[in-house]
Amino acid sequence: MAAPVADMAGTQPQWEFNCDLEVDYESEENASMVYAALAVDKELQPDKVKRQMEVSNGKLIVHFEAVEARFLRASFSAFVDVLTLATKTIEEFGQGMEL
Amino acid sequence: MKKMIALGFEGSANKIGVGVVTLDGTILSNPRHTYITPPGQGFLPRETAQHHLQHILPLIKSALKTAQITPDEIDCLCYTKGPGMGAPLQVAAVVVRILSQLWKKPIVAVNHCVAHIEMGRIVTGADDPVVLYVSGGNTQVIAYSEGRYQIFGETIDIAVGNCLDRFARVLTLSNDPNPGYNIEQLAKKGEQFIDLPYVVKGMDVSFSGILSYIEATAVEKLKNNECTPADLCYSLQETVFAMLVEITERAMAHCDTKDVLIVGGVGCNERLQEMMRTMCSERGGKLFATDDRYCIDNGAMIAYTGLLAYAHGTVTPLEESTFTQRFRTDEVHAIWRQKKEPSNMNGLMQESS
Repeated sequence: MAAPVADMAGTQPQWEFNCDLEVDYESEENASMVYAALAVDKELQPDKVKRQMEVSNGKLIVHFEAVEARFLRASFSAFVDVLTLATKTIEEFGQGMEL
Repeated sequence: MKKMIALGFEGSANKIGVGVVTLDGTILSNPRHTYITPPGQGFLPRETAQHHLQHILPLIKSALKTAQITPDEIDCLCYTKGPGMGAPLQVAAVVVRILSQLWKKPIVAVNHCVAHIEMGRIVTGADDPVVLYVSGGNTQVIAYSEGRYQIFGETIDIAVGNCLDRFARVLTLSNDPNPGYNIEQLAKKGEQFIDLPYVVKGMDVSFSGILSYIEATAVEKLKNNECTPADLCYSLQETVFAMLVEITERAMAHCDTKDVLIVGGVGCNERLQEMMRTMCSERGGKLFATDDRYCIDNGAMIAYTGLLAYAHGTVTPLEESTFTQRFRTDEVHAIWRQKKEPSNMNGLMQESS
């Protein structure tokens, strides 16, 4: 617990819990927009949950790693909520929007 | 010249609002939706964020429709950066980041407290008042000085609105339209004043001890039929509002200002306004206050304040459009208020020459 930071980095990457999420927007532009919007907010506990994102072939690909299942669950669930919101925003206010 | 137009998003607490305003302060639309919890319960971050998720997109449509504008006509998109609850703040921030990319419009991050002040100033016409900002999350006495809104006094623990809200839960009063309103109505029927702790510490106030005291006393006294819920509401209001009037008056003496502006959700309370008005008139000043349309969190106040900053050259790059639970009023450089200084200096120079 009280080990110096340098040691921690060297010995214990116990990122045992991980999961992947892939959303196919079939559009590089839309996937990049969602990526840019969601990349602004960093994970609140970077020592417990890590999130990596990339855009490829119109898809947003997200990889989560966590030290405990409950952190993974909380982080993933919150992320899916804002991902859904960002996607809906594009659907409703993107090209050809109707008021 | 075409009027500048801003679209503003507020979602720092249990209200989600979207407003459209022009630079002269005209509100073209300002719809909002409030998350109202059952009696006896407060609002929690996760549930509040879910509420905002459900309502924000329809609110944008309604705001644009009522204002009769298209996205093309918007100059900037403003959102509440903080202070407030994290998860609810994120909802507005994420939507603004997407809209900014879809519509190719700049973003302006806004401090929630400063927005209350600017909205109050434009609506009432108060030029340079001492500001009492009282809500469920904040309690501050503020005055403008040297480019910033300086905090002269504030709560050292919970906000006055939080004290009222939580007492309403003890009595299981309705949270519709808001707990403070229902306390205010019940207080009108109060006949007996119950002594409560009165906690002013210099320029600051404290409410948590009063809340603990009344929570414990209320149950006991009500059980023994020594007083009514109305008596307790009346006594609590009189006590906490007297404390607020006291620290406001002290700030006025410091700043040599006669006028007071009350903003924030608790600012709707007519008893608070009445007590403050009495104090102001005794000092030869004036009270400026607004009603629930502007006092309570709304999108227009964010839009207007963001537009002021934008008109003076402020924009927030997408990568920096973060939100934060803590964001003090005096951290903001109120550049839009400094514009008068060069002309004042010219005036001085002319006088001296």
